[in-house]
Amino acid sequence: MSFLSPWSFLWLLLIGPLVALYILRRRRQERVIASTLLWQEALADLRAERPWRRLVPQVSLLLQILAIIAGSLALARPSGSASIPSGAQLAIIVDASSSMAAFANGEETRFELARNAAQAYADDLPPGGRMMLIESGRETAVLSPLTSDRHALSTAVDRLQIRGTSANLEEAVAIASERLADSPEGSRIVILTDGSQQGEVELLAALPIEVQEVTIASGYQDQNLGIVDADVRPRPEEGADRADIFARVLNPSSEPRDVFVIAELMPGQQALASRRLRIDSEQSSGVVLQVDLPPDDQGRAAHVGLRLEPADGLPDVFALDDQVVLPSPGARRLPVFVIGTPPQSVMRALRTDSEVELFRTSLPALAEREEQTPLDGLQIFCGDVPAEAPGGDSIVFAPNQNQVFEARLADGERGNITDWSEADPRLRFANLGRVRFGEARDISGMTPLVQSSAGVIAAGIERPAGETTLFSFNPDQSNWPSDPSFVIVMRNLLERARNRRASGGIPDGPLGESLRVPASDQRSVEVETPSGATIEAPVQGGLAIVPIQAEPGVYRAEVGERELFAMRNHLSESESDISHRAVFVTGEGQTLAGVEAPEERSDLWQWVGLLLLLILALEIAWATRSVSGRPSERRRRAA
Amino acid sequence: MVNNHVTEVPEQTTKARLLDGDFLKRLRRLRLMVSKRFVGGAGGARQSLRRGSSVEFADHRAYVPGDDIRRIDWNAYARLDELVLRLYVAEEDLSVTVLIDSSASMSVGKPPKFDTAKRVAAALSYVALSGGERVGVTPFSTSIARPLPPSRGLARAPRVFRYLEEMQASGETSLRRSIDAFVARRGRPGLVLLISDFLDPAGYESAIDRLLSEKHEVSLFHIVDEEELYPTLGGDLRLIDSETGDAVEVSLDARTLKAYEARVDAYLEALQRYAKRRRVGYLQVGGGEPFEESLLRYLSGASATGIRR
Repeated sequence: MSFLSPWSFLWLLLIGPLVALYILRRRRQERVIASTLLWQEALADLRAERPWRRLVPQVSLLLQILAIIAGSLALARPSGSASIPSGAQLAIIVDASSSMAAFANGEETRFELARNAAQAYADDLPPGGRMMLIESGRETAVLSPLTSDRHALSTAVDRLQIRGTSANLEEAVAIASERLADSPEGSRIVILTDGSQQGEVELLAALPIEVQEVTIASGYQDQNLGIVDADVRPRPEEGADRADIFARVLNPSSEPRDVFVIAELMPGQQALASRRLRIDSEQSSGVVLQVDLPPDDQGRAAHVGLRLEPADGLPDVFALDDQVVLPSPGARRLPVFVIGTPPQSVMRALRTDSEVELFRTSLPALAEREEQTPLDGLQIFCGDVPAEAPGGDSIVFAPNQNQVFEARLADGERGNITDWSEADPRLRFANLGRVRFGEARDISGMTPLVQSSAGVIAAGIERPAGETTLFSFNPDQSNWPSDPSFVIVMRNLLERARNRRASGGIPDGPLGESLRVPASDQRSVEVETPSGATIEAPVQGGLAIVPIQAEPGVYRAEVGERELFAMRNHLSESESDISHRAVFVTGEGQTLAGVEAPEERSDLWQWVGLLLLLILALEIAWATRSVSGRPSERRRRAA
Repeated sequence: MVNNHVTEVPEQTTKARLLDGDFLKRLRRLRLMVSKRFVGGAGGARQSLRRGSSVEFADHRAYVPGDDIRRIDWNAYARLDELVLRLYVAEEDLSVTVLIDSSASMSVGKPPKFDTAKRVAAALSYVALSGGERVGVTPFSTSIARPLPPSRGLARAPRVFRYLEEMQASGETSLRRSIDAFVARRGRPGLVLLISDFLDPAGYESAIDRLLSEKHEVSLFHIVDEEELYPTLGGDLRLIDSETGDAVEVSLDARTLKAYEARVDAYLEALQRYAKRRRVGYLQVGGGEPFEESLLRYLSGASATGIRR
């Protein structure tokens, strides 16, 4: 604590004259009594019983001295950096990027320190003050709006989690600035961060911004080794199950490090290969491990795990980037079920893909299946389509019905393609300008993909469990198969289906992002995290949003009789460098990082004011106390 | 015994200041009684320790040469064939001294304790004079002051009253020195009515013991003030001793008052216990009760030790 006006302590010099005046000119009411003999004896009795009673006559002086001390303290304006002025509004932004998971000391992570600081702000919220809490991860989330409810704030602090591999502090500050517009004087934005962002962080707000960096102990600033890139590719020329595992390991610390890179088959952690690396300081090093990865019993193959193990005995304070999980090449094999009579051009395109396993069937045959589990692969409907959309990905060509799943189709017309959605990944790199079709039907009820003079002739719809792409015309009755765009679109469709299947049926996402588990026929789903914990989430609209922490590894979900999974990895070179690199600048270019401007401890004013009032009340009570008219017990007895 | 001379007392001058007429009428029916017999200087209503020539027979003794032959009991000589003398009780008046405390502490109180003391002294003197006793008044503080010489007869009452009215309270209390001075001046033992607040830092025991050792019969009249017994003070006070001028600073709260009251109780109890132990009469006057009531009750014998009707 410091004092904004320390000269005010000169008021304490008043104590000297006060004591002198008290001694020299203390005025008491004088009473002449017959004899002081009995009074002296009574006082002697009291002093023998309570020696401190000698001080009782000086109570008034003591109270006045206390009043001077309290007044001087108040005038000295005690200040501190962790206080909130009364009535002020406060926005606490907590950096929830993955680097905050690094240990700041031997016991606590940076994020835990930041969370404790946020909780301290909530606890110290003065009367009239309000606070909002913002979690700045890959996305900015307002965990608590402006409120003075400490319980609500504590609950919001408990919900703070590390989300993703980056923090958009600029966006968080912009949101806070907007919410705190027209806030009273003393309001400010506080950012709790480790400052491990790269480069300048420009903070624009109409009110003061205070950047509080968590205190990181010596030896914990940059001691880290992390996998910043990884991939698995098959090497069929050397064997059916042979694959190469690529990895790049970063050493952001200021000294060279030795590390083992270990590849394991998951689950079970069966060691596949290991390599020792020496990485210079602030450098990264690549490594290739050749392994055999047989497919599992579902043809998906197992997962490959990569992890780091320091070989030099030095610490690694950041664990999120020490392991990576990857789908094995076997997962790239895609079963494709063709239902009905397919266009010849489509069949040719399918057969050119060596990782496609073709299965021909029909709607009646599918209806006779004893298993009710959805087909684990891409389904292509030609002509007839089922009444309800199947699970997983599907493609429909030239349907016979007017109602196809969510879409309605009009009568056929001839026309030319006028426009197509270039941003859609299914049409990526495809130029449909030269395509001419014989007859097509206008599609409504789905997202348009290809527009023509006859209407929408290709459309798509995304569902939690997969997507459907609908072409209202027969490619064989157009010049499209002779155009390169046909092969490109077919490969795009197959690749999307392959990736979705390889990723486990749960859409891919960055570390810490909630899992979006498709579960149309369930009320809730349970997800097992890489560490073995279970998370249950309700299903709404056929989708369960399962919040997860920033934990790399494989997440498994049981949905009916299907097992879905998802992989989450850190893989961020920026976040693996946990050293302080950020330069925080305001709109005027002033760096505020690490600067803590003294703030008046307005919360102390209340206590000092209360103390002064108490002393005043005591002084008044003492000065005006009287027992006159008090019926004496002896007098009552005598009466 | 009622004295007829009471009608001669100029009541107009007394009742307005010290005693009223009704109270005087009630006092006339009272007499001071003592448990001892004293040797008086003149024939009086009281028996003297000396056997004399009064009519009340006391004893016989053998004749020795030099005895007054008029007191020989010839009837006894006729029967016993030896000379014996008839001895008679010598009747003598009682010497009553009113020792009244005129120290400064007596001037304090509502009403001032000295006023009460003077009224008690006047009443006791009146009773004594109406009983034919010789009454003297001796004020004292540090020592005894100019006394009112003893005199007898109810006609002297106005003089006694005037003397009392003119007395002023001043000086410190020194019971012992005052009693010593009194004893040294007055040789004959008698009845001593000691009126005081007994607030002497040196104590009262040795002074009263000195009186008793000189064969005086003593009665104590303890003058108290209601404020002394039940103080209603409060706050921060500087208490000034009326005699010494010494100051005591007190912050009066319930606990302090309780301690003071405990001291007062102990002081009163000690004085009463002392009086009882020495067979000395004791009466507390004042403290909220009209002094006439307590004095009449005392003189009527309800609680008197040395004074009887």
